[in-house]
Amino acid sequence: MPPEQRDFHLFETEFGAHVLLVNGSRVFTIPFEIARALEGYPDDSDALLSRLGLSTPEYVTGEPPTAIPIRSLSLAIAQKCNLGCTYCYAQEGGFGSKEKDMSPEAARAAVELLFYEAAAGDRVQLTFLGGEPLTNRKLLRDCTEEAAALAEASGVRVGFSITTNGTLLTPEDGEFFERHGFAVTISLDGVGQVHDRLRPFKGGRGSYDRVLANARPLLAMQRRMQVSARVTVTPDNLFLRETLDEFLSFGFHSVGFSPMLSSPTEAGEMSSADLAAMLDQMISCGEEFERRVVRGERYAFLNMSNALAEIHKGTHRPYPCGAGAGYFGVSAEGGLYACHRFVEDPVGAMGDVRSGVDRASQARWLAGRHVHLQEPCRDCWARYMCGGGCHHEVIKRGRPACNYIRGWLHYCLQAYIRILERRPDYLPQCLIRLPL
Amino acid sequence: MSKRIEAKNLSAQLQYRAAGNPPSTEPHTAISNAFPGLEMDFRNVWKRILVGIELHESSNFVVAADDDAPPKVKQLALHYRLMRVEDISVMVPVTGPLYVGGPNVSLPDTTFHDPLWPLEWSNALAKIVHEFSGKKVNCTFESLPEDPKKKTVNVSLTVRPFFDEADVEGERVRRAVIAKDVAEPGALSQSLCSPWQNDYRECACFYWAATRPDYVNVEARPDGTSGGNNWMQKERTPQTPPVYNVDDWMDPNLLNYSDLFRDWEKALRFIIGGKDEEPPPEAQ
Repeated sequence: MPPEQRDFHLFETEFGAHVLLVNGSRVFTIPFEIARALEGYPDDSDALLSRLGLSTPEYVTGEPPTAIPIRSLSLAIAQKCNLGCTYCYAQEGGFGSKEKDMSPEAARAAVELLFYEAAAGDRVQLTFLGGEPLTNRKLLRDCTEEAAALAEASGVRVGFSITTNGTLLTPEDGEFFERHGFAVTISLDGVGQVHDRLRPFKGGRGSYDRVLANARPLLAMQRRMQVSARVTVTPDNLFLRETLDEFLSFGFHSVGFSPMLSSPTEAGEMSSADLAAMLDQMISCGEEFERRVVRGERYAFLNMSNALAEIHKGTHRPYPCGAGAGYFGVSAEGGLYACHRFVEDPVGAMGDVRSGVDRASQARWLAGRHVHLQEPCRDCWARYMCGGGCHHEVIKRGRPACNYIRGWLHYCLQAYIRILERRPDYLPQCLIRLPL
Repeated sequence: MSKRIEAKNLSAQLQYRAAGNPPSTEPHTAISNAFPGLEMDFRNVWKRILVGIELHESSNFVVAADDDAPPKVKQLALHYRLMRVEDISVMVPVTGPLYVGGPNVSLPDTTFHDPLWPLEWSNALAKIVHEFSGKKVNCTFESLPEDPKKKTVNVSLTVRPFFDEADVEGERVRRAVIAKDVAEPGALSQSLCSPWQNDYRECACFYWAATRPDYVNVEARPDGTSGGNNWMQKERTPQTPPVYNVDDWMDPNLLNYSDLFRDWEKALRFIIGGKDEEPPPEAQ
């Protein structure tokens, strides 16, 4: 890779020299002479970009957003779990305190809060998490039906999603999720024993066979519903390509990978060497994705399709996600937190579903978490694509994965150009498929 | 290998300025609205998008046909409007409330007084321009609502290529420039706003957010209400009571079109910090 610059990132493909201009995440193909000039101009690149007609006012200012309406809530409807995964941020479901279910009263207040600020035509998202949300199935269904009725009455569009360990899934759940168009994400950390070692039942028995047996009927019935697999990558399951191909062969709608960067017990956390190995695996999956796209085949490697869609749009944002902005996690007792990972954590406390968002805490959060204030992010070319990394992981552990993130984005930028040149029809389609 | 700078992703394309275009063509430097517009009237690029006819810029009405057009096309001029291109309706029924809180009713179009409204072409015809550039499309025209025997004409017309093509360093490329055949010289600057004489009066109610003050000399009152003047109020002095006259060009207290056409530069006052500017010393 060429030397790191703050305001642009040069890269090459067989189709020539290219530059990502950080301001606005704009991607250009440029003559080699210009790439060489930019390499030699690190202190005065502004003047050169201006001369080339490529300068434009700052897309992202240091000003944090204000008065953001709530658009997405995730409900920890059960702060308990039947699995005993060692790395879990929820510490086996209870978030470090006694196991509990959300009360129907708190759940109703959360659903009402979600719809309170939404007008006809707006889109809101209701997510069920835990713990294991299916340990509180009745409340999950009641909340969904209440939200669907509110949506029907108000003209607000609602999307539903659930992340589950899959051990309690039934075909009836599948029918319910299909009826309401759920995005169902099943946590699966590898094939067979690899998964069993990372995601055992609390008694120590493996959960893989049960999860797959439960998932199969849902995979067969997905029409409106989308059933995806999410793999948390630890040093013990760095077999991404095999995992991806195996899960896609089962009929999962997509498969995504996420490195374990911070766990309450430090178990399963990835080292720099592990992240370098993961990057090689991710690129190997990406190269297969490129081959399949060129052949016109679907290959639902979620990290890749998301990255390409974001690069194509030119996404530029001062935060990694909507946590504490339009998105909140709701604890079993009805507390609002910056996201599902901060449940019960005073660092991310932001009010209560009954009294609404604590706007002062939110303003402090958004001002403090802005990527312009993060180190070393403020001088990194990837800052508006990465947004500074998951708030929870950064606050708990720091930023061990910067080289991994930049390496992945560098590869994705190259793949973007190759796909644009070889299959120009792929990207507009991909953009249409993005969630609103 | 490229010898040119090519904008690849969407944010790069949005910011891109085609060779020869002035700085005011970039989104962040353009002033206010795009149509009728101060720099150009973008609607005019669609008037000649179908070979053989010219459409009115806002109503789908066929205003002219080419001299060498076949008789079936020629008959359209001044009698028909375009209803459909391939599977895309370009005239659609529109419903909504006529007043705040009112029931949803069919909203009559102000040109032809029927409940069909023309769609904005940049969106409505995007698919046609993308898929049928230089090719024939099936078009449906209908006689105007006033025609007691409603007649329909189906005719196949060619879509003019929207983007200019040129040879750049030995390579044939499509450029981010509107093709000459779509917009003849002068077409883009036809039908522009003349804001001082006309459009500031025409488009009131906070339409011109940046350049036309609506409510001036505003004072907050202790009870939470406010007082002030309409920018169009005639002959204001600091002693004029802060009472807002609701905009109405027939109101003798407000500037009318004639006042503005004759004397806009004296009649309209600069507003500085929300208040009428101080009169120049000689006027005092």
